[in-house]
Amino acid sequence: MANRSLLQFLSCFSRTAVGNAGLRPFSSTAVCRATFQNRNVVERAHSPWTLMAAVCLQRLPVISADCSPIEQQFRQMMHQMEREKSLLSDHELQLLEDAERMSRKQADDYDSEGEDDHGDQEIGLRHASVADADQDLTSSERCLADSLVLLAEQQVGGEPVWLLPQARWQEGETLRQTAERALASLPAAAGLKATFLGNAPCGVYKFKLPQAARTESTVGTKVFFFKAVLSDGGPPAGPGGPLLWAKRDELRRYLKPAYMMKVDRVVLGL
Amino acid sequence: MSAALSRGLCRALTRQAAPSSLLLGGHGRAAPGPWFAAVMTLKTSAPLRAEPKKKKKVDPRRDHMLKERMKKKLKKMEKVAPEFIPLEDLITPTKCLDETRERIAPRLSFGESEGRALLLKEWCRYKQEQHMAEVQAVELALEAQREALEELKLESEELYLAALKPDPLLFPFTREGPAYTPPKSKYEAPDGKYIDITKVYTQ
Repeated sequence: MANRSLLQFLSCFSRTAVGNAGLRPFSSTAVCRATFQNRNVVERAHSPWTLMAAVCLQRLPVISADCSPIEQQFRQMMHQMEREKSLLSDHELQLLEDAERMSRKQADDYDSEGEDDHGDQEIGLRHASVADADQDLTSSERCLADSLVLLAEQQVGGEPVWLLPQARWQEGETLRQTAERALASLPAAAGLKATFLGNAPCGVYKFKLPQAARTESTVGTKVFFFKAVLSDGGPPAGPGGPLLWAKRDELRRYLKPAYMMKVDRVVLGL
Repeated sequence: MSAALSRGLCRALTRQAAPSSLLLGGHGRAAPGPWFAAVMTLKTSAPLRAEPKKKKKVDPRRDHMLKERMKKKLKKMEKVAPEFIPLEDLITPTKCLDETRERIAPRLSFGESEGRALLLKEWCRYKQEQHMAEVQAVELALEAQREALEELKLESEELYLAALKPDPLLFPFTREGPAYTPPKSKYEAPDGKYIDITKVYTQ
């Protein structure tokens, strides 16, 4: 529709200005630009999609994860192989000398040397993972070996739905500012300090309203995801707040399937 | 003084020359002979006087040249190439070259060596799967971002351009990786001195 009007405008212009061959190209481009700008503004005002920005806040792992069975086997094998290829240490030389001395004394009962493998055992105070602490879904200290994603329960179309905290875009702000506002406006997230990774969104979710709710101006919503990393936990959130820290596997339980597909790609499974 | 000497010698020679002419007989010339003129001019000729002057010109030049050559040689001697800083990690300590420290390699049974080979192959497969999973995850994330930017472009140009702008406050970005044990809350580190004993070499 807009294209046709543009063509008509140009054709009438070319019919009238036959004499000014030199001026025509210049003025026609100026006219084109003006119409393009008008078209852009017109389109934005009539866009049927409402824009929203959501924040995908991740708490990255604090402890290194335990080794899987094959990793443990491989680690033991490598220890053995390196031990076989190594030179004798001072302690081992001392033990050999002591053994020789004892055999020269011809003592009947001498104790066998201690095992050589004590050095391979890792002496460390590994954090005893407390099972109860892992079950507390609202605490950001659960499951220190995995990365967690923040979920909030918000009202969408009158129903409470679990999703990434989102807010509606307003005029005069960039989408990243909308995402920051979405995080700040959460009631229980007062002390959370997050670092947003860049100005560009990392994913999008398009949601078309059901036929009954569609009007001329709104067909659906587009939710843009922005990635953020938790830099400071802050004070522990009060109980009962509609907040969740979920592992990547647990997201499936809370999010809707179509939404889950889009979020799955953003939350890297590494 | 040389003039006076020459005059004195001339007189002596004329006195002597007179009787010699008488001896010669017939000629009786009072003028001195040819050898006399040569002797007269012996002490007063230019070449005799100019020789010490030539020496003066050449000597300072020669001395100067000699001094310069000596200086250049000294400078070349002083230009020694700087010593290389030793790489302490690459110098094998003499303790390790001791022969008494060699460990006797144990004989592995066939079963054990086979088990090791099979475990190595399994590990190779496991690592490959891990790597492929990583690469795929990164590709999916990039695809998701590309889609998001396309949708944003369809929506509005300004927001798209604002999204493409780089964030100046993000870098330098640092984050401590996962440790073996979690950090203690309310941990007070004790005060202490830190004495740096790294060896510093100067060239």
